Amino acid sequence: MNDLLALYRAQFRTTIAEQLQYRGGLAIWTIGLVLEPVIYLAVWSTVARSQGGAVAGFGAADFAAYFLVALVVNQATFTWIMWEMEYWIRQGHLSPLLLRPVHPIHRQIAVNLTFKLLTLTVVVPAALILGVVFRPNFAGIEPWTALAFIPALVLAIALRFAIEWTLALAAFWITRVTAVNQLYYVAFLFLSGQAVPLLLLPGPVKAAAEWLPFYRTLGFPVELLLGRLSPQDAAVGIVAQVGWLAVMVVLLNAVWARGIRQYSAVGA
Amino acid sequence: MRTLRLLWVHLRLGALNELQYRGNLVAQMLQSLISLAASLLGLGIVFSKTDALGGWGPYELLAILGVYFLVGGISQLVVQPSLSRFMEDIRLGAFDFTLTKPVDAQMLASIKQIEVWKLVDVAIGAGVLGVALAGLGEGVGPARAAAFGLTLLAGVAIVYSFLLLLATCAFWFVRVDNILVIFQSMYEAGRWPIGIYPPWLRLSLTFLVPIGFAITVPASGLVGRLSGDTLALAVALGVALPLVARWFWRRGLRRYSGASA
Amino acid sequence: MLDLRAADVNSASIARFTLGRTMDDIRRPVICVRDLHKAYSVPEREAGLAASLRSLWRRQTREVTAVERISFDVAPGEIVGFLGPNGAGKTTTLKMLAGLLHPTSGEVDVLGFTPWRREPAYLRQMTLVMGQRNQLVWDIPVADSYELNRVIYAIPDDQYRRTLDELADLLELDPLLTKPVRNLSLGERMKCELAGALLHRPRVLFLDEPTLGLDVTAQRRIRAFIADYATRHDATVLLTSHYMADVEALAERVIVIHHGALRFDGPLDGLIERFSPFKTLTLDFEGAPGDLGRFGEVIEAADGHAVVRVRKADAAAATARLLAELPVIDLSVADPPVDEVIDRVFSDEAAGAADEAIEVAS
Repeated sequence: MNDLLALYRAQFRTTIAEQLQYRGGLAIWTIGLVLEPVIYLAVWSTVARSQGGAVAGFGAADFAAYFLVALVVNQATFTWIMWEMEYWIRQGHLSPLLLRPVHPIHRQIAVNLTFKLLTLTVVVPAALILGVVFRPNFAGIEPWTALAFIPALVLAIALRFAIEWTLALAAFWITRVTAVNQLYYVAFLFLSGQAVPLLLLPGPVKAAAEWLPFYRTLGFPVELLLGRLSPQDAAVGIVAQVGWLAVMVVLLNAVWARGIRQYSAVGA
Repeated sequence: MRTLRLLWVHLRLGALNELQYRGNLVAQMLQSLISLAASLLGLGIVFSKTDALGGWGPYELLAILGVYFLVGGISQLVVQPSLSRFMEDIRLGAFDFTLTKPVDAQMLASIKQIEVWKLVDVAIGAGVLGVALAGLGEGVGPARAAAFGLTLLAGVAIVYSFLLLLATCAFWFVRVDNILVIFQSMYEAGRWPIGIYPPWLRLSLTFLVPIGFAITVPASGLVGRLSGDTLALAVALGVALPLVARWFWRRGLRRYSGASA
Repeated sequence: MLDLRAADVNSASIARFTLGRTMDDIRRPVICVRDLHKAYSVPEREAGLAASLRSLWRRQTREVTAVERISFDVAPGEIVGFLGPNGAGKTTTLKMLAGLLHPTSGEVDVLGFTPWRREPAYLRQMTLVMGQRNQLVWDIPVADSYELNRVIYAIPDDQYRRTLDELADLLELDPLLTKPVRNLSLGERMKCELAGALLHRPRVLFLDEPTLGLDVTAQRRIRAFIADYATRHDATVLLTSHYMADVEALAERVIVIHHGALRFDGPLDGLIERFSPFKTLTLDFEGAPGDLGRFGEVIEAADGHAVVRVRKADAAAATARLLAELPVIDLSVADPPVDEVIDRVFSDEAAGAADEAIEVAS
């Protein structure tokens, strides 16, 4: 355990140093991260205005609140492992990682957390500025929603990490995973609540999205914080997060074990 | 003439070379289609809640989507890969070889690298435009076609000049390799008419990163929503920006060869 | 008009050539360099955060002279070795000759052109090869890269065919042409690189470290090819190399620069004469060497074998004394290896001595 902590600390330091070398890259990445929710916000605010101020109970200020919180949650939960894993496997970078006495996932978790901490320094100011510009309606936030948001966010981070790690392992079997990644990205875009609040999806799609795990990693914590969910829905949601997390961790381990066998069989 | 010939050779070689990896074609088609599907899904959801977005009807937005794919495809087919390569060459010193060639260095650097499969995006763009036109019903008269052709040409010229301006910075700063990514990430905003964005963003997307001129303006020309002023401005920029970019490139080149030092 | 200028500028070199050759042999130099000078101003800042912040608005710069007023001529068909340690200014000079860099001052005339104007007519007649950098397209077959060059240089079809056949023949390229560059070995890549750079049959070749990193066999092949191309096409070659063997094999004439300044220009033998006031005596004898220090500087001494370095003037006397005083079985007197001489030219304590020796050999 102490060894692991030391590993995390060391990884933390190298990642910070590394990222500070690429400040330009960080800035560009921030532009993309901030612009995306602004686009959805603009689209939906326009729709709301054309519908006499609100669509499905969302006014422009509600959309602003939704997409601003979504920006922060997305920043906290996103991973880039699906792209990195392909690179590791193709370029043979995975082999040395496998030789280390710790599971490669720890390195990835450490790097991910460090990167998040680092980008928080640009994302929070960006969100604050957008908050001033778009005048979001945060009236729904209550002490209990704010409190429940914390475990929901932590679970969302863990769940999305587990889902994307599992999908990333497709690279063990498929040479070109870009299309797979993109397919996942599009599914996530609509089913997680990233591009549009679930409430605005057509009925059957909305029902399906509520049962799938993606919503639990993004839309759910957002709606929870903004007071759009009843305490019962919030409780159900957190239970769903825990359930999905358990399923994904089991799946991740199983797929990883098979993938490694496949990887060493090919002799990369 | 020489330019076209060189461009053709690059295209042909790129295609011949890529034909060895047909998997790439399938992958690119899949990616482009997924991207198209995502856009259509988005449009579908939006139009399930409203009849018009900022005054644009469904088929008019489809026209925007078509131009988005068309211009993006052209840019990713030759401009972006070539300019990325140029910046990489500067970093590694291989740009020297471009300079020793008896053809214009800017031209060579702008067509050096071709991503053949991005032709898929160009084709999708044309297809979507076709569907949009069919859906709009009323025949597009010669005036609209001319406005579209003119603004599209200007749009491509503006995008090219903008990217060249960014890439030319490599003569001064070595570590700018991902400066072009800014454009790519902002280009996403062009899937929607820029009129729906708040003023600060609309202005940025018009004059800072000229995505409005590349997508919304030609699409407006096609659907007959283009004002004379905007048309004139687009054409003026389409002529002026390449000249500015050319001037900047020459300054960069002078610096590179130490003539200004 | 061109001829007038050439006659004017090059009267010195023409006079030089007339000494040994008949008037018929005299041809106008292909490369003509006069007082070529290149200085860079480089940003300079002390270490530390405060200093780097200060440098943000008040940038300290320092003038660095890369090439210091050098002059030389190269006659048509000549192969000239350009020598100097890293950072001596070789590559900078080559880049100015190839038109990549503007000089700070001075004049260069290559084939009647000013290189840095980069007129297409000039670029079509010269080529630049840099051993450490590749200009073939990495992912496509070699022949396709050549095809690009064909269009860029607008080489007529039949000439292209003939040249490619000839080059492929000389360099044994045929099996390589269909392979992507990334699948070639370093030696193969260099062969293809050279061939690609010569497709337009340049009359002037600038080769910067053309054999860098290659194994001995590949080096030898490249050298033979360069020499062959130069004779066939009466091409003028200016090459830099770290490997003395390249220069020894190819160039009758060497130009040595150090710290940007010209240190020597003349035949290779002359370089040894001038810069090595020593001879090396290698001896085999019976028994222990004893004290050899009285003959000269002892490089190596063991039972039965020794190497001693003596001043040139003392060589004869030392040899006689050695033969008289030691039971010598075998003795040889030699110039030191060229590498050693070059080292001497470049070492700083030699710089002073070399200054006296600068005096362009003829």
